[in-house]
Amino acid sequence: MICFISGGAKNGKSTLAQNLTAALAGGGKRYYIATMIPVDEEDRERIRRHIADRDGMGFETIECGRGILNCLDQADPEGAFLLDSATALLMNELFPLEKNYEMDLDAAQRCREELVRFARSVRHAVIVSDYIYSDAVRYDAITEQYRRSLARIDRALAEESDVVVEVAAGQRILHKGALPL
Amino acid sequence: MILIIGGAYQGKLDFAKANFGIREDQICDCGRDPADFSKKCLWHVEQLCLECVQKGIEPRDYFLARRSQWQNSVLICRDIFCGVVPVDDTCREWRQATARLCQYLSAEADQVSRIFCGLEQRLK
Repeated sequence: MICFISGGAKNGKSTLAQNLTAALAGGGKRYYIATMIPVDEEDRERIRRHIADRDGMGFETIECGRGILNCLDQADPEGAFLLDSATALLMNELFPLEKNYEMDLDAAQRCREELVRFARSVRHAVIVSDYIYSDAVRYDAITEQYRRSLARIDRALAEESDVVVEVAAGQRILHKGALPL
Repeated sequence: MILIIGGAYQGKLDFAKANFGIREDQICDCGRDPADFSKKCLWHVEQLCLECVQKGIEPRDYFLARRSQWQNSVLICRDIFCGVVPVDDTCREWRQATARLCQYLSAEADQVSRIFCGLEQRLK
């Protein structure tokens, strides 16, 4: 099953995603795909907090900040995979660290295609994204490009998904399918 | 009139094309061209609102004055209402005036659809 979760920041997306992945996994393997590439102590602290949040849920963590299909080398595709988040993954792909964060436009399409392939390749995929499309700010061209690229990813994944849910204040707005919990 | 709202890049125009048979030549892109109510579909209504605000016109009054011209239209407006209140005066007024217009149009509409990641949520 493919589940796509989006919504505003700190609204409960990750909590729902973790519970959902655990439910889908049942007695099987459950993987947490860590997408953040830490660059400073603030990032490392956030990662420590996230690890503590998942403590006791039985997740195996796979570090994969880019090239999402690579994580399949280290995991059993029959398991349940939680990818949190497409937003961070695209950021790493679009603005590669080793190119001094210069925008790599080809990466956006590749990232989208790889995410769809990844979702199809595993037994259960739960993918979290961020809804960043409803404000009255006139962004610079690079930020607009990032928003457009993430929206394309969101739409491709939503189309591919069995379940699409928006989370608002911890509540679920179901846009497609039915949640198994 | 059909009102389609939703955030940036969510697939509002694609939804209009798929569900109401809108062709390219029936679309007025208000972000690029002057508003043309002879076209069946007005896209980027929020840009028309920005233009109104910059001229000191209330977008709702603009639409009210042309009420007979959009009764059978498909109007597409970006949801720009959920972010932080903009510091910039024009952006702040644009956001509020567009929201007031959407409330007015929503009350007038036969159908209101919100598009989220390409999927329709029927609001009316």
